[in-house]
Amino acid sequence: MKHPRICQRILFASVCLVAGVAFAAEPEDIIKYRQSVMKANGAHMAAAGAIINGKVDFKGQLGDHAKALQAINKDINSLFPKDSDFGETKALDAVWKNSADFQKRAKDSAQKADALTKTVAAGDSKNYAARFKELSDSCKACHKDFRKEEK
Amino acid sequence: MLFARTRFVLLAGLLFAAPLAAAAGASPTDQLAKQGEYVYRAAGCYGCHTDEKHAGKPLAGGHALATPFGTFYTPNITPDPETGIGRWSEQDFLRALREGLSPAGDHYYPSFPYPSYTRLTDEDLRALWAYLKLQPPVKQANRKHDLKWFARARSFVGSWKVLYFAPGAYRPDATKSAVWNRGAYLAEAAAHCGECHTPRTALGGIKSGMHYAGTRDGPEDSVVPNITPDRKTGIGRWRASELAEYLETGMTPDGDSAGDLMAEVIDNGLKYLRKEDRAAIAAYVLSLPPVEHSVRKAGKKPVKKEEFE
Repeated sequence: MKHPRICQRILFASVCLVAGVAFAAEPEDIIKYRQSVMKANGAHMAAAGAIINGKVDFKGQLGDHAKALQAINKDINSLFPKDSDFGETKALDAVWKNSADFQKRAKDSAQKADALTKTVAAGDSKNYAARFKELSDSCKACHKDFRKEEK
Repeated sequence: MLFARTRFVLLAGLLFAAPLAAAAGASPTDQLAKQGEYVYRAAGCYGCHTDEKHAGKPLAGGHALATPFGTFYTPNITPDPETGIGRWSEQDFLRALREGLSPAGDHYYPSFPYPSYTRLTDEDLRALWAYLKLQPPVKQANRKHDLKWFARARSFVGSWKVLYFAPGAYRPDATKSAVWNRGAYLAEAAAHCGECHTPRTALGGIKSGMHYAGTRDGPEDSVVPNITPDRKTGIGRWRASELAEYLETGMTPDGDSAGDLMAEVIDNGLKYLRKEDRAAIAAYVLSLPPVEHSVRKAGKKPVKKEEFE
């Protein structure tokens, strides 16, 4: 209690620091984060695909993969903030230039992932493959227009 | 008058040909066109000859292909008589694909992958011609290529052909299986995988010993992956069934989805092929000699926006 004002100041400064870091993330870090999330997206696709195509018998896990895909694809657009277009990214300028198209694609992926999750939750196994293919096609459609191959 | 009537009859014939054929069994012409449609898918004509990015009409050309030699604009291959290939004869068409020569006898730049198409059989070429003739004509003038100075003289292509071009249909390898030969035919003659996946010399010829080994100088500034079965730098860890699936769905074994040019190749072509044909392509590609060749750019530093401004 000797230096309450100094304590307050330190506290205030550290809050500012934390907040500042959170709001002004480095573009490289955003890009890396985005790539990590997308890698996870792909990994769950591969895992779910292996189960749906009957290559492996982890049927009990399919619901979890579907839920993960649903969560990841909920708002892909948010992974592409302005100024995250420079650096080690394969994202094309079109992501930001044709933002409306990009958002439409992202929304489509969200819907397709939703549909897959619901189908799996309902145990409607006849339709797993079709819903899965629709999601995979949605990924491809977006990559086609918005991702450069290894630029 | 007579001309107008003939045209009407022809048009009517075209309109009604398909349903009639469906009802009474396909006529030989329809069957040929149907086979042609399959060749058309396998050969990926649509992808390059359609300017999809700018909502261009199918096969009307104008699709820009940026290469180290400059930008090529693909021509109109609809049957429009003025701006397309409506005045061509079947012979003209066969010569274009077999020898890389225009009806007037000019050399085509090998951005038009005739070094691959020359491997197509006469029958498949005729079928393709029959199919293309049935497509809706589009009036759209061709855009001139925008080439670097050293690539501008077409006569240069003549010398290029002497060095790098061997015309003639695919000859099956009797020591290999029928599936392998089918895969080789589809990959080498129709799908022309090597046109993008094989690195080129400074003169734009295919580098020998580097078949399908990938390149950093792909069309449209793309980095084209090594698709030889090398385990480290190629796709040697893929199983044939995974590759065949990829050619249908665009999904890699690790769950990534194809993008860019390969997505176009799959969406407009490969996914329409018969399952056994995709399996044959996969079996063929994975039977090739592995080449260790990494196309990844090493140690590129991230560039910040400010450094450009």
